[in-house]
Amino acid sequence: MIWLELDIMRRAVLGCVLTGILTGLMGVFVVRMRISAIGYSMSHGAFAGAALGVATSMNPLVTAMLFASITAFLIGPIADKARLHADTVTSIIFPLNMALAFVFLTLTPEIGLTSQVASVLWGSIISMTNNDVVYMVTLCAATLVIIHFVWKELFAIMFNRKLAEADGINTRAFVYLVIFLSGVVITFSIKLVGGLLIYALLFNPASSTLQFLEDMRKVIVVSPLLGVGTNLSGLLVSLFLDLPVGSCIVLVSTLVFAVSVLVSPKRRRKIENERR
Amino acid sequence: MIKRINICFTSSGSTFNEASKVKDAVTAQESAIVRIEDVSTVYEGERRPAIRDVNLTIERNELVYVLGPNASGKTTLLETINGLLPAYRGRIFVFGLNVRNHGRRVRCEVGYVPQDFMVEPGEPYTAFDIVMMGRYGKIGVLQRPNEADHERAMEVMRLLEIEDLAPRPIGKLSGGQQQKVMIARALAKEPKLLLLDEPFSNLDPESREMVPRIINQLHEEKGMTTLIVTHDIHNMMKTCHRGVVFRDGRVVVDETPEKALHKLEVMR
Ligand SMILES: Nc1ncnc2c1ncn2[C@@H]1O[C@H](COP(=O)(O)OP(=O)(O)O)[C@@H](O)[C@H]1O
Ligand SMILES: [Mg+2]
Repeated sequence: MIWLELDIMRRAVLGCVLTGILTGLMGVFVVRMRISAIGYSMSHGAFAGAALGVATSMNPLVTAMLFASITAFLIGPIADKARLHADTVTSIIFPLNMALAFVFLTLTPEIGLTSQVASVLWGSIISMTNNDVVYMVTLCAATLVIIHFVWKELFAIMFNRKLAEADGINTRAFVYLVIFLSGVVITFSIKLVGGLLIYALLFNPASSTLQFLEDMRKVIVVSPLLGVGTNLSGLLVSLFLDLPVGSCIVLVSTLVFAVSVLVSPKRRRKIENERR
Repeated sequence: MIKRINICFTSSGSTFNEASKVKDAVTAQESAIVRIEDVSTVYEGERRPAIRDVNLTIERNELVYVLGPNASGKTTLLETINGLLPAYRGRIFVFGLNVRNHGRRVRCEVGYVPQDFMVEPGEPYTAFDIVMMGRYGKIGVLQRPNEADHERAMEVMRLLEIEDLAPRPIGKLSGGQQQKVMIARALAKEPKLLLLDEPFSNLDPESREMVPRIINQLHEEKGMTTLIVTHDIHNMMKTCHRGVVFRDGRVVVDETPEKALHKLEVMR
């Protein structure tokens, strides 16, 4: 079994850990700053971009980043100013990116590229190279450092953007920083779960953690840990059942989210309030 | 510890660039804390201005009431003054600084208590977190709150008698307690100008007496300037200097509080 090859296995575990940290971390900001629509659209933009990269034999990382940026650039100001409801924009951008992705994948020359196509669609731990791991370690370190330095502002904006602005914080700059970092993280995470499912990695650990923790300082630590946990569990499940890693990770993390909603003290309190 | 980079407007002025030093000189000559010239504010997507052709000057240390029926533009006035609503015609100067160009610097020195601010029960923040946030703009980018900042935030909470709420999750406090936390947040930044939007609506009678007392005290000790939007005028009548009455977005009365109140009642 190819999985037992030590090198591949080590890269797979590292990929799960690094992606888990990054998406779990950025997800908290995306969810709390209510920019999920942008995160969602960027994910599928990156997917279309990666597909273009495969089709044209360019580096899929570069094209994915480019498409994620273009999407953020298009949707960001709209969602920011609320001129058009973000949902409306997402509903247009999502099928557009999907259509582009499938067109690009159809155009892909068939010889020897099936694994690359598969990695863009479903993710593929096997195609993860040592270089990928190095990129991800660098990205992880850079992201943690940046967040450490602007934590105070992010903390305030996650509570209430208008109040943060009223206290003299340049909220737009920090929201755009989060959008930018999320775009980069999404791009680098495509190899693990594929472009169709990447958004779940951003959304699930953060939303699950926010369901049961009531201290933002704990949320920001636990959500990345949960991301690592679900990624590794998903990897294990995929090894045992011989199923695609990305799908298994998303299934596990959705299960975790469902359970966290069911046991959430917040939800219980809400029900109690309604009964009263 | 690195010396704090002061991106905000402070009285020391030592960390400022030359351009703002010139502006400070202007401020020193001008006693008006707020000067509003022919201002009309339009909300995005609306055609009718929410406030129109407003002219208003508020001197240092003044305590001004803003009165008027619902939807007359009181909240819009406050948010235009601190630059949260940038789509306005006319000119606004706060501390002698044009809000259009120096909005963020102005906001570092303006305490704002928004109307009806309530938080969901599960919000992952404590009351102390919220009060401390009031100082964030002033503390500056890349800087962390230090001992003095903590002390200042606690001091304000003690002043409002909510120090025992400090570690409690904000969402689990009563409406009145949350309102006091919001007032503490605005005061924690040691504002030169305080904008309060119906700050007494959820308070019990005891606090309705206490909050004005604290504001008066800060007026005397720190030379603060305050604008209060409210319906509950009786507690503060003795110390209030002026009453400004809004109607359909226009200032219709700018008088002593007694006269303003009288005219408001006649209007009804
Ligand atoms: N976000 C908004 N978008 C559009 N119109 C608004 C908005 N907020 C307030 N308005 C309108 O502006 C006018 C003044 O509102 P406001 O300043 O909130 O009045 P007040 O505080 O005196 O009750 C009202 O007609 C209101 O409908
Ligand atoms: Mg109002």
